[in-house]
Amino acid sequence: MSNEAIKFNDVSLIYGTSTNQTKVLKGIDFNINSDEIVSIVGPSGSGKTSIIMLAAGLEKASSGSICIHSNEITVLNENELSLIRRQHIGIVFQSFYLIPNLSALENVMLSLEANQKYNMEDQAVELLTNFGLSHRIDHLPSELSGGEQQRVAIARALINKPSIILADEPTGNLDEENSQHMMELLFDYTKKNKTSLVMVTHDSEMAHKCDRIIEIKDGKIA
Amino acid sequence: MIDEIGANSKELLGGDIQIDSGADPLPNRTIKELSSLGLVSKSVNFFTMLSDKNDSSIFIDLRAVDDYYPLYGELKTEPPKANEYLFSQGDMPGILINENIKNQLSLQTGDEVNLMGRKFIVAGSISSVPDLARSAVFGEFAIISKGEFESFELRSTNSFLRHNYRMKINTEQFAQNNAKVISMFTGSDNIRVKLPKDSAQNLRSIIDNFSNFLNLVSVSAMIIAGIGISNTLLSFINQRSVSVAIKKSLGFSSIVIKFIYFYEIIIILFATSITAYFIGVLSPLIANYMIPEVLGLALKPSFSVANYLNIAFIGLLIVLIFSIPSLYSINSIRAMDLFRNTFQPVNLYFSRRNIVYIVLLTFVLVTYFVLQTKQQAITLSYFFAFFSSLVVFYFVARALIFSLKRFKGFYSNSYKIAYRNIVSKKSLAPIITISLGIGLTLLLTLSFVANILNKEIAENIPAKSPDIFFVGINKNEKSKLEDFILDKDDQAELDFRPMVSASFVSLNSVPVESIVSDNNPSGWVVRGDRRISWLKKPRENSPIVKGDWWMNGDSDNMYLSLDYKVASDIGIKIGDKITLNILGREVEGSVMNFRNVEYRNFGTNFAIIINSAYAEKLPYEYVGTLKSKLETNEIQAQIIKEFPNISSIKIDRIISKVSEILNKIFIAVSSISLVVIVIGLIVIVSAILVQANLRKYNNLIYKILGVDFSTILKAMTIEFALIYLSLIAFSISVATMASYYLIDNIFALDWAFNLNLTLILVLSTGIVTFVLILVANKNMFNPAVYPLIRNE
Repeated sequence: MSNEAIKFNDVSLIYGTSTNQTKVLKGIDFNINSDEIVSIVGPSGSGKTSIIMLAAGLEKASSGSICIHSNEITVLNENELSLIRRQHIGIVFQSFYLIPNLSALENVMLSLEANQKYNMEDQAVELLTNFGLSHRIDHLPSELSGGEQQRVAIARALINKPSIILADEPTGNLDEENSQHMMELLFDYTKKNKTSLVMVTHDSEMAHKCDRIIEIKDGKIA
Repeated sequence: MIDEIGANSKELLGGDIQIDSGADPLPNRTIKELSSLGLVSKSVNFFTMLSDKNDSSIFIDLRAVDDYYPLYGELKTEPPKANEYLFSQGDMPGILINENIKNQLSLQTGDEVNLMGRKFIVAGSISSVPDLARSAVFGEFAIISKGEFESFELRSTNSFLRHNYRMKINTEQFAQNNAKVISMFTGSDNIRVKLPKDSAQNLRSIIDNFSNFLNLVSVSAMIIAGIGISNTLLSFINQRSVSVAIKKSLGFSSIVIKFIYFYEIIIILFATSITAYFIGVLSPLIANYMIPEVLGLALKPSFSVANYLNIAFIGLLIVLIFSIPSLYSINSIRAMDLFRNTFQPVNLYFSRRNIVYIVLLTFVLVTYFVLQTKQQAITLSYFFAFFSSLVVFYFVARALIFSLKRFKGFYSNSYKIAYRNIVSKKSLAPIITISLGIGLTLLLTLSFVANILNKEIAENIPAKSPDIFFVGINKNEKSKLEDFILDKDDQAELDFRPMVSASFVSLNSVPVESIVSDNNPSGWVVRGDRRISWLKKPRENSPIVKGDWWMNGDSDNMYLSLDYKVASDIGIKIGDKITLNILGREVEGSVMNFRNVEYRNFGTNFAIIINSAYAEKLPYEYVGTLKSKLETNEIQAQIIKEFPNISSIKIDRIISKVSEILNKIFIAVSSISLVVIVIGLIVIVSAILVQANLRKYNNLIYKILGVDFSTILKAMTIEFALIYLSLIAFSISVATMASYYLIDNIFALDWAFNLNLTLILVLSTGIVTFVLILVANKNMFNPAVYPLIRNE
């Protein structure tokens, strides 16, 4: 595997019709290495989350190329993109996005089962226990605090041992203490597993703890 | 539709009500009183001799009618409107004759005939009479004007006269006037009152069954509407859970929010009920446009404020009952969910208080609805069956969840997703199972019933009936007639039965008049002369249902076999002694068995059969039927020419009116079956709606986690298949039991399981439901992740 985990080459993203276009990203270029922790910062509406979505293959670039571990993903179809996500990527959202009618354990197991990994309940329980949720395993998301929900969401993202973690303002809905705890979990994991972490954040203190900062302004790297 | 079929029943009777006063006419005072309640048409029937100019005579059933006749329907003659001649002041009085008289005396329009010493001119032949006079088809029948009858100056003491009064009741206060007429003659020994439902026994049962079917459909439609409301409202609340939580955070209490939505529902109910009522009122016009004119179904729109209010009140009760558990789900939406951004899909909410409300309102609805129906016990049992089915399907859902938990080791990511959706804590599987289960069960039950009812009606539209009915076949002529017909058509179906006239005298030495009341549905068997026959063994189409066949060969004792229904109605048991008057001699016989007798195919069927060894000592003649591929008029003309002494009657005359009515009922049942399919789909759609939002959200999460489209599709297929397969067996079982109960006990028809229909319905419902699920989740084919990540 190449040391280059993510590569954006002259990537543009345009929304809307030909007469009413919004240029979200304008010729973005950057590389992120396999064990690198990068924060993406910038004002609201600058295109930070769009970069995360493009990297995850959840959005199609209007032009340019995006490579994940040297695989050009802009030419892949839906199923191939799903495979890339399953094998290489874990995503953490600001709003957690847990499945409301599944318990904490079931939400984490879902990620394993999506990868056709069965009989790994012990591993999911262990991870949740490591995240301090051993007493919350059978609770529904609505029965968990915000911090607990985000820990479940992170466990779900990490359980498959992805080589890339994409986090969209993962501490945006958390208090300072929970934010700190969350970041420790993510940083520990990435360092231990030599994983890339790309994190969108508004928190400059958090951003400065990363190896590198990419600043986006008006759809361009500032 | 009911009105139209009712009008046809009135045609069969010839009025809204018929009063038979027997040999004596009604007193003038009574006729005056009747005239104040409606239009009265008087007629007199009697038997007399008619002869032609060559003095060839024939015994005929003569009907003298006034110029109001017929009150309903049309007297069809050849040439057309020949009946007008009866009431014109011509040189010679007119007479209308039926085809049998015309054929036997070789009469033409304009010929002279003698009737009780007076000359009449044949004004035309009768093609059909609306009030299905049996002798008009099976015998020799003629009509003259009542004025001419008066000129005979027959005394009312002549016992052979039969005075009939048919009435068209004033439409204003119809029910009261009708009841008043009935009450005028209640308790009278000599006067009998007949209503349209009494006009034809076969049709009566079919019309009653049709009415039962409508009742079943109306209860089902209410239930379906209720489930639809409940599911749609639950889906609506699920979609607005954020809005509800925000309202709560702003200080609105749950009860205020419930009232906000409740008022919305009431406004929607008010608007939709008015729209629906007007569509309903005008729908007969659309039906008239769509139904082929040849079937003569003329439906009339009828508007009534009282009807609307009645429907709106029932609608309000249904909305209240079925919206309570959905509206109360608002209680489980918490303002704190806004802070945690965790909105659970809400489920139907049952607390002690709302269970009490639901029970009370259901009691009001059931009582109010049942009191309006004629078949109250049956309607009540429909409701009971429905509520029982709800419980059954709830346990089916629980059993499915329990079973799946045992098989969780099944390795497939699609299965795992499906498994988690079904067994999760807040699973919507029970609601979907109950809705789909009830929808499929109702669809199957109503389709089973409609199919058997339509089959029954189709069988009664007599394709299998004979073409010609023969009476008065001399023993010596039987084989000659048989040879003659087979020579013309060797494939002809002939059926000859020996018969003799007999009358019922007593049952266990008790005179029959004191046993059988006027309104006994099988009273016709014991009144007047009845043709009886004999057989060496029971026929396949009239099998023994109770008792045993007799040993052949005993010519000293008479044994009787009776129609089971007749025996039940009259209260005759195996071993009872019945005395019959056969050819003037009273003979006592023992009842040996009961048969299931089929009268509907117009074949030669007998309510009473005796043992052939005893009967063969009696002088007898034959009756018979013919079904042939040859043109009926042609073969009949040849038979009349060759066998002038045998009366032959074309059956199509009598069946045409019956067929017309049956066709109308057939169309009605078929149309209603379509409505049933549509209402079944409504429940299915509502069941899909309940889970649509949750499923959309879940599918997006799966996509983010890297689950590909085919896995999601497979998971949805497995989830649907597991739920659907689990309820199929119960739906089929419940529908089979329900339809068996309905068909056997209420419709009194032969129930049979139709495997093809079941497979078609189950398969097509499954396919349609799954396609609807895919349509409701069409975003899954290209789900946009952007709105989710943006929290939109």
